[in-house]
Amino acid sequence: MTGPAIEIDGLSKRFGDVTAVDSVDLTVESGEIFGFLGPNGAGKSTTINLLLDFVRPTSGSASMLGLDVSKDRETLHSRIGVVPENYGLYDRLSGRRHVELAAKLKDADDDPDELLDRVGLSQEDANRAAGDYSTGMSQRLALAMALVGAPDLLILDEPTSGLDPNGARELREIIQAENDRGVTVFFSSHILEQVEAVADRVGIMNEGELVAIDSIGRLRRQLDTGAQVILDVDRQPERSLGDLPNVRDIDVGGGTVRGTCLEPAAKLQFIDRVRELTTVTDVRIEESSLEDLFASYTGEDTTDSQTETVVPGGVA
Amino acid sequence: MSVRTIARKDLADASRSKALWAVILIVLLSTAGITTLLAVTSDMAAGEVFSLSFQLAVTMLPIVALVLAKGAITAERESGSLRVLLSLPPSRRDVLVGKLLGRTALMLVATLISGFVTGLVVLTILGGTFGSLAAFIGFLGLMGVAFVAIGVGISAGSSSDSRATAVAVGAYMILVALWNLIQSAIQYGAIELGLMTEGSAPAWMKLVGLFPPNRAARAAYRNTVAGQLFGTDPFASVWLPVLLLLAWILVPVTIGYLRLRDAQIG
Repeated sequence: MTGPAIEIDGLSKRFGDVTAVDSVDLTVESGEIFGFLGPNGAGKSTTINLLLDFVRPTSGSASMLGLDVSKDRETLHSRIGVVPENYGLYDRLSGRRHVELAAKLKDADDDPDELLDRVGLSQEDANRAAGDYSTGMSQRLALAMALVGAPDLLILDEPTSGLDPNGARELREIIQAENDRGVTVFFSSHILEQVEAVADRVGIMNEGELVAIDSIGRLRRQLDTGAQVILDVDRQPERSLGDLPNVRDIDVGGGTVRGTCLEPAAKLQFIDRVRELTTVTDVRIEESSLEDLFASYTGEDTTDSQTETVVPGGVA
Repeated sequence: MSVRTIARKDLADASRSKALWAVILIVLLSTAGITTLLAVTSDMAAGEVFSLSFQLAVTMLPIVALVLAKGAITAERESGSLRVLLSLPPSRRDVLVGKLLGRTALMLVATLISGFVTGLVVLTILGGTFGSLAAFIGFLGLMGVAFVAIGVGISAGSSSDSRATAVAVGAYMILVALWNLIQSAIQYGAIELGLMTEGSAPAWMKLVGLFPPNRAARAAYRNTVAGQLFGTDPFASVWLPVLLLLAWILVPVTIGYLRLRDAQIG
């Protein structure tokens, strides 16, 4: 496949005087796994609703697989697989019946049992009414329905919600396997480790605007929230550590000394300084998580000095 | 293709609802039961019993039809299964038409069973023609479909299930329970305004009397039994009430579709 899988062009949606989506431009290339992030109310779901033609845009346009999301929706929807947000199942119909329904509507000849097996639902589960399913099982069934007809593009809105860690890992494996087959995957999540583990690129939405699009690695480098160095010490240092360039948020207590180091050389300097004052028994380093990254883009303050920048040539 | 699949899914799904069958059963038993009672205890002729039974049925069956239809779209909208359906190829129109067909089929089954049971009771106890039984079942069926269409239209045009329920109750009250009163009020108002004189019955006033689907169905049945299939007076004819019933099928569904088409499925 050539051409972008998703192309969003100046898309806006206003509900009354609330702007849910504010002139979003986004291109998702064929074959990539794109993670769509943002806090609740950021406009992620509205964007996906616009892509699925559940909601019509105030202005702008969007296409997927080269097809207009509204004008060509029937053709488009036979080529994509979707797990929508707040989806519901038919409580009185069996799991197998659900997959059969999706297959009939998509004009696909998939074997329902094979798909159900792939998402981890047994024959016994398949015969039960969906009303008896746990949240995790419902999520698996919804995914099985999305996989019907070997779609070229998967759109998954919060696909990990309701899954236990094991289920989430299986979901990642399925996403990866589909991607290996050439499928583009677009998924939204607030569970950032999930996105980190599987996405090639991420887009972050906040207050209706797409505030960042990049690879996770590049985003982290660009932002550089630093790494936290945690030193276990056998006794508390008696004197203050003093000022260290590129180290901030120094915290002493509970048998540890912590500091956030904005660049690699600062870590050694920090450790050396602490060793002058006490004996270091263990060293741990925590890279900034996507969580921190996310918070810094969406304006939530987790650490107090995000504005602090690396001093060039800080190590004298 | 999509429409048929959705209709069959809907039939399979709705027919598994115990609450629905309970309502159908209560209404059918009371209609058939009262008819049997009439047939056994009174010395009325078969035609009279049929006529009374028809009147009873046109009051009861709309309840079944509305209960059966008012959640057709809203229940799926609230559970979120509508989002699943619309993520698949079917359009909103496909979903609406499929739902209408599914619920119509269910209503026709209920009407056929009740009409047949009631009819057989009358025929075996009092005798009579199968022709009158056919008209009895046929027009009850048509009216049932009209109320299903009203219910599905209401459902398509409502944003929540409770709203659809309220509107459906309102529709029943206006069209079935209170139409006598409304008709009198219109008549009184028209006389006051000088649009008609007391004791006269202009065509439009006759149309008001015929307007609700249950009234139209009764007129159609009566006029058929009276043998006025092709009468020249439209108000004594079969075609005018049948035309009204067809309008009751098309108009609410169309309005509901237009509202559903522009709705935010959020």
